[in-house]
Amino acid sequence: MPSVALEEVLRDVRRALEDPALQEGLRRAYTGAERRVPEILAEHPEILELARRVEEAKRRVLEDLDRYIEMAVESLKGVGAEPHFAGTAEEAREIVAGIVGSGKVVVMSKSMVAAEIGLREHLESLGNEVWETDLGELLIQLQGSKPMHTIAPAIHLTREEAARLVSEKLGVKLDGEKIEEIVAVVRRYLRDKFVRADVGISGANALAADTGAFVLVENEGNIRLVTGLPPLHIAVVGVDKIVPTLTDAFHVAMVQAAYASLYPPTYLNVIAGPSSTADIEKKRVYGAHGPPKLHVVLVDNGRKKAAKKPLLAEQLRCIRCGRCQLECPVWRLTANHWGGPVYGGPMGVGWTAVTLGEESGAELAHLCLGCARCDEVCPVRIPLSRIIRWLKKLYAESHGL
Amino acid sequence: MDVKLILSLLAENVERTGYPVPVDVERIYSWAKPLNLPRGGRAVLYTGALYQLAPYINSLVRHLESLEGRRAGGLALRLAKTLGKIIDLGKVVAKADPGEIKAVEEVLRSIARLLSAAGVEYGYLYEDDMYSGVILYDMGLDEAFARHAKMVAETLEKSGASLIITVDPHTTHVLRSVFPEYVDGFGLEVKNYLEILSENIDSLKPRRGEAGYRVVIHDPCFYARHEGIVEEPRQLLRFAGLEVEEPPRSGKMTYCCGGPVEAVSPSLSRRIAETRLRELQGVGGRIVTMCPICYVNLRRVGGKVEDIALHLSRRLL
Ligand code: SF4
Repeated sequence: MPSVALEEVLRDVRRALEDPALQEGLRRAYTGAERRVPEILAEHPEILELARRVEEAKRRVLEDLDRYIEMAVESLKGVGAEPHFAGTAEEAREIVAGIVGSGKVVVMSKSMVAAEIGLREHLESLGNEVWETDLGELLIQLQGSKPMHTIAPAIHLTREEAARLVSEKLGVKLDGEKIEEIVAVVRRYLRDKFVRADVGISGANALAADTGAFVLVENEGNIRLVTGLPPLHIAVVGVDKIVPTLTDAFHVAMVQAAYASLYPPTYLNVIAGPSSTADIEKKRVYGAHGPPKLHVVLVDNGRKKAAKKPLLAEQLRCIRCGRCQLECPVWRLTANHWGGPVYGGPMGVGWTAVTLGEESGAELAHLCLGCARCDEVCPVRIPLSRIIRWLKKLYAESHGL
Repeated sequence: MDVKLILSLLAENVERTGYPVPVDVERIYSWAKPLNLPRGGRAVLYTGALYQLAPYINSLVRHLESLEGRRAGGLALRLAKTLGKIIDLGKVVAKADPGEIKAVEEVLRSIARLLSAAGVEYGYLYEDDMYSGVILYDMGLDEAFARHAKMVAETLEKSGASLIITVDPHTTHVLRSVFPEYVDGFGLEVKNYLEILSENIDSLKPRRGEAGYRVVIHDPCFYARHEGIVEEPRQLLRFAGLEVEEPPRSGKMTYCCGGPVEAVSPSLSRRIAETRLRELQGVGGRIVTMCPICYVNLRRVGGKVEDIALHLSRRLL
């Protein structure tokens, strides 16, 4: 049985269309967001060149995924990180839960794969205090909903809605609904969590097979704190994030930032193993200022199987820039209410098929217009509309049509 | 909305009648009668019936719209199934807007006259002007599509033509870019009439002395992104003395009219059409469509739109 049903998707879509707050939030966020990327690309044409290289690098890895996973594991060991491999979402949750334990304070930076495996909820259920530290993701946590865009999870919330959530759920008084004030209040509130945190959990934009180094790109600065302050850092990384070299990983970060209209990115983090120093007598000691311990959980959850499928394999090149979402006429009206329980929009349909099974992806496919605006804008040239048409075909087949 | 039911309705109708909605074959070619077009020839005009079907499809969508969200919706449709799909659907499509039917027939006549004026020699297929099966392909009903496509290809090949002239984006795309994948040995040359008019533009003469007006162009997704037809309509409109305005999203990045999801989610389709219509209206100028689906969809949400063939024929014939 697929875990997504078309009838429910249609109901969700109708509800989204009739939700005035959502529509207003989307309208405000949308205006202008679409124009910025072409402007950035016009100013930095070298990004287009890098996008071609990223596409090529990703193709190479996906043709030989098992070998690249092995290389990544070896390289991670080589820099003193502890690699793990999780075949399923459940295994991934268990591995992380085993490392974290219970009664801990955990700070997380936005990670789609963490959402995919239901990590926050799982850690909370084990008696941990878990905080999302990306502002948008925190608002989602407070609202108890799902991220509405790959890069801007709270794109659907107006400032009024955000202010209400922050003051109600965090119990802090806000004088008005100024965005600056919301940001300042959250900053003060989370500062204490960062300092007290036992564990920091992050994702990764790209992981280099040659060196075991991974990169994380961001604007808020929360990732630097999540990955730098607590004594233990766990990175949860989909195996599709593996690229051949650290140079490729930088390219991914730059292309993703540009296509997400955040260019130049404010911060670029590179992490290759735990923090250490050899300043005294040249003896290497771990845990200078950063975490002495680094675990990297590589998550498969359907990716290896998808890599062998003709069209679906192409979805795995995705660098999660969210551009296809912003350009999609359906997404523009529904946000991530369409596209699957975790991912959304055009890329969401493909990712749902990868991570929850093709039948689940097929249940989402019929809301696609096939208009192919997404194909036109994807930096790594994923044939999104063709993947979705293929899923429509699967839907017909699996329903005896 | 019971999508499975809608899909099986469409598929069964195509299988049994050749068309996704029940219409009389005569309705498909009667537009050509006043023109006395020769039958067959080296080049044939193939409409794929989409312009002719659009008003009926529109009527079906209006019906689905009235059922959507109502709990009885699924039930009423299911009942339609047991009572015999064709008859019931027949009633629904019988409510098609006569004005719209007239309008699309006039579009086809204009296209034919424009081709003649450009010096193109071609014939028509009359009752062999079959539906292309494009909806089956779009809905992922590949087996039914492949069967239908084979029949269409055989009919076109039997006509003896070596050049097929298409008139709408969906039929153009499916014939030119999809048929070769689904029909073994399909090798007919397919050209769209806008491409042909543009090639023969020197044979056309704009009427002199008439004042031009502003038009805002709505590119259909399948012309712009799949078939590379972007410049031709602009060139022709300008040649006809019209001032062409671009909406915020145009050419390769044009915005969908919402048509493709009209049967699955009429409310979503409507909202997308409204979004696009507002954008087009914001530019100022008469809105030009080039696709029968765009035409009925933008009209359903209150748009005043007119097909490019009508604009061109007024100025070039
Ligand atoms: S599919 Fe392409 S455009 Fe969409 S998020 Fe992935 S990389 Fe970006």
